[in-house]
Amino acid sequence: MAVATAEPARPPDVRGPTAPLPLSIFALGIAALVVVAGGLLAVQIAYAVNGAPELTEHCLVNGLTENQTGSLGVCHIVEAFRSSALTVVLLVGMAVGAVAVVAGFSINARMPTRRQREHAIAGGVLGIQAIVLGVLLFWFRAGKVTIFSRSFLNIAVLEGYGDDFLTGAKNTLYLAFGGEVGGIILGLIFAVLTLSTRRVVRAPARAYINFFRGTPLIWQLVTFYFGVNLGLGLKLGTIQVGLIVFTLNTGAYAAEVFRAGIQSIERGQIEAARSLGMSYLQSMRYAIVPQAVRRVIPPLMNEFVILIKDTALIVALGQTLGQRDIFSVARQIYSSTFNATGFMAAAAGYLIVTLPLIRLVNMVERKLRSGLTGIVGQ
Amino acid sequence: MRQRPLNDDGTLVRLEGIHKWFGDLHVLKGIDHKIHSEQVVVVIGPSGSGKSTLLRCINILEEPTQGSVIFNGQDITDIRTDLNKVRTQIGIVFQAYNLFPHKTAMENCMLALKKVLNMVDDEAQERAMTELKHVGLEQKADAYPSQLSGGQQQRVAIARALAMRPQLMLFDEVTSALDPELVKEVLDTMKRLADEGMTMVVVTHEMGFAREVGTHLLFMDDGKIVEEGEPREVFERPQDERTQSFLSHVL
Repeated sequence: MAVATAEPARPPDVRGPTAPLPLSIFALGIAALVVVAGGLLAVQIAYAVNGAPELTEHCLVNGLTENQTGSLGVCHIVEAFRSSALTVVLLVGMAVGAVAVVAGFSINARMPTRRQREHAIAGGVLGIQAIVLGVLLFWFRAGKVTIFSRSFLNIAVLEGYGDDFLTGAKNTLYLAFGGEVGGIILGLIFAVLTLSTRRVVRAPARAYINFFRGTPLIWQLVTFYFGVNLGLGLKLGTIQVGLIVFTLNTGAYAAEVFRAGIQSIERGQIEAARSLGMSYLQSMRYAIVPQAVRRVIPPLMNEFVILIKDTALIVALGQTLGQRDIFSVARQIYSSTFNATGFMAAAAGYLIVTLPLIRLVNMVERKLRSGLTGIVGQ
Repeated sequence: MRQRPLNDDGTLVRLEGIHKWFGDLHVLKGIDHKIHSEQVVVVIGPSGSGKSTLLRCINILEEPTQGSVIFNGQDITDIRTDLNKVRTQIGIVFQAYNLFPHKTAMENCMLALKKVLNMVDDEAQERAMTELKHVGLEQKADAYPSQLSGGQQQRVAIARALAMRPQLMLFDEVTSALDPELVKEVLDTMKRLADEGMTMVVVTHEMGFAREVGTHLLFMDDGKIVEEGEPREVFERPQDERTQSFLSHVL
């Protein structure tokens, strides 16, 4: 009710100004990390662009041959890792990082303003990160770089598999979306059943939920595919079984999410609805569930992210070419080339879908936290 | 204008030997009372005396453990009663408003009209608008509850209950959650309703309202009706010791 008449004044800056010393430590920390990470990238690019189109002695000794797919490209990677240029870059970066660490943590407590202290600490922390990254890279260089690069970084192996990955992505998303949509519908129904005051209604719903939450998903897939198919005389294919089992599994988890959401709605809401003459189901449908659904969007989206990854388990059922998901395409590449680079591509494929989703979940959560009615169109 | 009760003696609600236990807690210990049409019954008493529970027993939000509630000649504690139908004729307003936060003021009023009374959109909208005007909030029809003050939310809650055209309105400490400066607008709305002849049962701590607007006063303590009568009479000459003690504390 109170209306502010004065111009909204800016809040005072309690962090205070910074100073050249802490600011330079902060810059030093950034520089250290940039030198280590950027240096690695730069050396790799330089070798990829300028590297001689031949297999070096070292690469040959370590098992790369002329007629191996992608040997030339991998040899560049190996040589870049072994190069003295990289040694210099890493050492310089780590040294700069060490300076930032020592300077930052020795002076931060004496800084007169909060911003100066934060700059000093940030510089030190970045320095630590640069040193850790440098140590890891040195460690890696001391290992079997050639074999690792040949098996995991040989992008040339992936050539010609683009369509397979597209099919895989399509199937993965089909299973994940289908399972999630089916699971949400099933979960909502079972959530309402578990909230019944009647034990005879609650008990079977709980049994279903506990069973599917209590057994491994891979067990459910395999048993359904081989056992239930046989027992009920069905002839369901891999994708159909996958869709059914993912739906049943997600349904059990979604039921618990919905139940928590419904129980989080104040008792007064159902009392108000019932007092207006609405039946229990009407009250649920028009008053309670619409509110609960908003609150459970973030946990449901988390379930979706989990399901996207779990669809990879369908590999246990065996798939025809057209039925493969992202993960089994990677496996296929591995078994026909003995090269694991396909798995790296699969990881990238999953991340392309999951990272934006995770970000979206966080955004929705923040929005919901900011107000009770959150994402109601107002 | 409003429908008269079917009983000859003008009794709208008859409470017969109402007992309520919450587990081992005996909250109502035998309530017998008649509420006549167009009466404004105010219920006062110390907290924990069972006032709200009694009110909530009238529309069976709490099921009496023992005893009967006769509404319009029908025993609504009989489990064969269609409670949903009965509740359309008994409006209730809560202390915490309990508006549906995902619906506008208008939609709050329209929901039960459409889903329970099966009105078409236009009809429900017209009725809802009439009742929002009734409580003076027609210009807030499209506002969400979170955009309204407590007093406005409570008036929307009253409009929502009135939209069902109930024969009886129950008020459960409806001003207790309000900031002091917002209490008056709600009490004024209720007073107007009383003047229009609505039968009301009002659980309240507003002694001024009880005295001015109430036509009958119940003083409850420890799950029983200790004293009742014409409000001014009870306020000026309380007979029971507990009534005297309570009134001396709150007045």
